[in-house]
Amino acid sequence: MATTTAAVTLTSDLLSDNMSVSASTTCMKAGTTADGLDMMEYGYIDIVTGDQFDLLGSDDSTGSLGNPVSGVMANKANKVYIKNHSTDETYYVSIMLDAQAIGKLYGGDWMFIPWSATDDDKDIEITASGGTNKICYALFHQGKTLVAS
Amino acid sequence: MATTTATLALSSVDLLSDELALSTTCTLTKTTTATGVEDTTGLNRKKITSTAKGTASGQVTLYTADDFAAIPYLYIKNLATTAGHRIYVYDDTTTGDPIQFQLDAGDWGFIPMHGDKTYSAYASNNPTSIEFMVIGQDQ
Repeated sequence: MATTTAAVTLTSDLLSDNMSVSASTTCMKAGTTADGLDMMEYGYIDIVTGDQFDLLGSDDSTGSLGNPVSGVMANKANKVYIKNHSTDETYYVSIMLDAQAIGKLYGGDWMFIPWSATDDDKDIEITASGGTNKICYALFHQGKTLVAS
Repeated sequence: MATTTATLALSSVDLLSDELALSTTCTLTKTTTATGVEDTTGLNRKKITSTAKGTASGQVTLYTADDFAAIPYLYIKNLATTAGHRIYVYDDTTTGDPIQFQLDAGDWGFIPMHGDKTYSAYASNNPTSIEFMVIGQDQ
């Protein structure tokens, strides 16, 4: 098994004392603490304004961006990282799950979520605003159904 | 002005043929500015005792719609240690209460939100402890 660790640290001086919150998890396959996620997809792409795209498809169809990430096995322990690398602080991307807004990343912001791909409609969709946004994303998963050519 | 940062580190020495070491940091700022956010709910730790969506008693409200100006940053962690003890986070504003995230034991998430939806949580097992915090700009 592969061992992949995701760790977050939140630090701030907005309270009367310094705040530092850390969390770390080993990315495991669904329903186990002994077998780690062993597959990964990674992308770095431009998102143009005007349309909503499938960034990651949960069904067996290829996403609008033509990326090969599709057919993620439903109800498994998928983890998604997305970062907006835009340097203009007025640019942002909206992240949606099955057409429901779940995140909004301005330039420099990132998100890390367990992706609840419970059915074929639970695509992760993305829309850019302000201008063309440069996005980096990673998907850690435990397998997918390949699409016959 | 306060400075609040969120740092993510993704690492593995055996997932790929070479070492994976991805690290990124963002400073949490007021929307479309470089000014740091100033408000937070503080870190919360609560027990979820509800095991069904829509059963208000025993659920935990993580964030109330429009409590903060966009963008509120949500940090959540499932403190369970037994695999399969899941926390379900759902959108309590939209019709049908769609589930947005499932966190298995030990999972955490960090989400810059739109801020206009109420998020609530229930769990697969009673009780399941959750840790969460929202950082942003009060309104």
